[in-house]
Amino acid sequence: MDSDDDMHDAMGSASEGEQEYQSDLMPSDNEVNESDESDYGFDDNGVDDDPQPASSRSQSTYLVLSEKDIRQRQEEAVTNVSTVLDISPTQAGILLRHFKWSISKVNDEWFADEDAVRDKVGLLKPLVEPASDTKDVTCGICFESYPPASMKATTCGHNFCSSCWAGYIHTAINDGPGCLTLRCPDPSCNAAVGEDMVLSLVSDDDRTKYTRYVLRSYVEDNRKTKWCPAPNCEFAVEFILGSGPFDIVCKCSYSFCWNCLEEAHRPVDCDTVAKWILKNCAESENMNWILANSKPCPKCKRPIEKNQGCMHITCTPPCKFEFCWLCLGAWSEHGERTGGFYACNRYETAKQEGVYDEAERRREMAKNSLERYTHYYERWATNESSRGKAVADLHQMQAVQIEKLSDKQCQPVSQLKFITEAWLQIIECRRVLKWTYAYGYYLPENEVGKRQFFEYVQGEAEAGLERLHQCAEKDLQTFLEGDTPNPCFNDFRTKLAGLTSVTKTYFENLVRALENGLSDVNSKVSAKVGCCSKPSGNSKGRAGRSKAGTSKSVSIGNTTKAVPSNYPAVDIALIRSACLSCLANLKVNGSVCGSS
Amino acid sequence: MASKRIQKELQDLQKDPPTSCSAGPVGDDLFHWQATIMGPSDSPYSGGVFFVTIHFPPDYPFKPPKVNFSTKVYHPNINSNGSICLDILKEQWSPALTISKVLLSICSLLTDPNPDDPLVPEIAHIYKNQRPRYEETARAWTQKYAMN
Repeated sequence: MDSDDDMHDAMGSASEGEQEYQSDLMPSDNEVNESDESDYGFDDNGVDDDPQPASSRSQSTYLVLSEKDIRQRQEEAVTNVSTVLDISPTQAGILLRHFKWSISKVNDEWFADEDAVRDKVGLLKPLVEPASDTKDVTCGICFESYPPASMKATTCGHNFCSSCWAGYIHTAINDGPGCLTLRCPDPSCNAAVGEDMVLSLVSDDDRTKYTRYVLRSYVEDNRKTKWCPAPNCEFAVEFILGSGPFDIVCKCSYSFCWNCLEEAHRPVDCDTVAKWILKNCAESENMNWILANSKPCPKCKRPIEKNQGCMHITCTPPCKFEFCWLCLGAWSEHGERTGGFYACNRYETAKQEGVYDEAERRREMAKNSLERYTHYYERWATNESSRGKAVADLHQMQAVQIEKLSDKQCQPVSQLKFITEAWLQIIECRRVLKWTYAYGYYLPENEVGKRQFFEYVQGEAEAGLERLHQCAEKDLQTFLEGDTPNPCFNDFRTKLAGLTSVTKTYFENLVRALENGLSDVNSKVSAKVGCCSKPSGNSKGRAGRSKAGTSKSVSIGNTTKAVPSNYPAVDIALIRSACLSCLANLKVNGSVCGSS
Repeated sequence: MASKRIQKELQDLQKDPPTSCSAGPVGDDLFHWQATIMGPSDSPYSGGVFFVTIHFPPDYPFKPPKVNFSTKVYHPNINSNGSICLDILKEQWSPALTISKVLLSICSLLTDPNPDDPLVPEIAHIYKNQRPRYEETARAWTQKYAMN
């Protein structure tokens, strides 16, 4: 029984409209597009204010919660427990925090053995108030005497004066979240100090801190919620456990992996990402590089990289030592007697004698493994920076360019959504592509078939993305510059929208291939995937595609809304005329593009 | 608050001193005390006089006092710096505890070490497995460092 979900349901309605569960978009989206090609218009029916690239459709796997939502959930949980167990809201709060905000656990434990629970969490049954004595009472902390009226106690009846209580609570709050499980100051007493008592005795500062800890406890103790890891982001995410992919797009627009909290890295798994990140930050890589590509100056010992040119090396000031790269001897000793500047035979002699062998071999080996790593790292990093640039470009686009373009080309802004969509697609594709390089690095060298297949799918996707990126970046400029509306603008629209859609398909294929561990490799490789279409390839593509619409998806950008049903379909004829370079690929993916 | 409370504790200690300990400020600083603990008679520390320094934090009694042995002690829960591993001096501290109660707890720790939560694992090991050897060493240290 998982009545956690009850709580869930109870709260879902309250926060609707503010946070949408990632909507279960029409799985038949693609079919609609296919049959609707002629309807390739930009009438705004159903198009949302936040344009969504089609690949962002996801299952309802998570919910982004604002601080307000969290408080509301807490309040509702407290009300629920306090009603069901007939205890005060403060006591309900104590119980819920103890049981990590799981209403079902609270109920189960409570009804199984109420006394044990009360004992464990320090919820004593209310005592009968002792007949108020008129004699002064000594506070157990400051040892001053006070009239009984000015003493306070929690349920246990251990009296302390108000100022000692205040000091006790203040100290606890400033010691951290442990204040949420505060007990009576009497060393032998287990009674919990509840929220009402705490809040009645503290300063505004402490009140803020305490309520913050209460809020945090909901997110941090609860198995189903986590904070968005982006710096300064105040949203939390509730994940429907056991469902769907781990990619989360927070409302702050940061996308991350629920499981490992690194940035979103689908289709690459968390372990690979962790290894890769560790590798990237490992100082040892730097050392490897220095070892492989540099030699220390024989005089000052600073590492020197020789990129090209002659063997006569002059160390940088202040050292300025002149030496031979090959033998590391002083250049002053070089000359006719060493057999010429560019063929230092002292080196060869020494190598024959075995003097350099060990060091040289190590250098050579390190260099090979490093070159491989550098290959993947470079591409990983470049795609990351391209993505960053694309995000900036998109913002610029939304802030300035779209309006400008709308003026120049006499197009209503609503007709220019295809540009934003293209950029969102670029951003997402850069992210996916980036991680495929980490994947590639760890793909075993000896799995030749898989490696070929991987490189093929990756290459196709990358080529598609480059065309799309170029079109969005360069081609667009023409239309921003002219003074009069450019008659080719509609062609451009068709080309860009087409490229967006084609690229999306490529990436869906790539994501799918990686997510199923390149298991298609046998059939694919035997069919020798090339640049022309194969019947088997086609049918595969089609099957794959309809699947992509329903279960496999890539989430994009900072929004999580539905994709409009009239998402531009590809007009093959127009694309052909607009982008001859894509022709070959359109053929390959003929069925994918829906032309068949 | 802190100095008032420390003052009161001092008065109480002087009015009604515990049998095996004494404590009071070093010089004029009310927040810095020295205490003496008599080795419990049913322990290998019997006959020794152990000096203990006590520093009160400014937010005493809401934060625990810092208590250290200045006499060397051979004990599983007291290390060579004189640090004491005692829960009420750490997470189990309560503002309702007093120095007098702390000193009594230390006395009972001398009698009954807690080898399962040791500060000095070697001594704890010997305490658990070779009790006579532990007692002998503890007595020797008491003789050497805590008498005269």
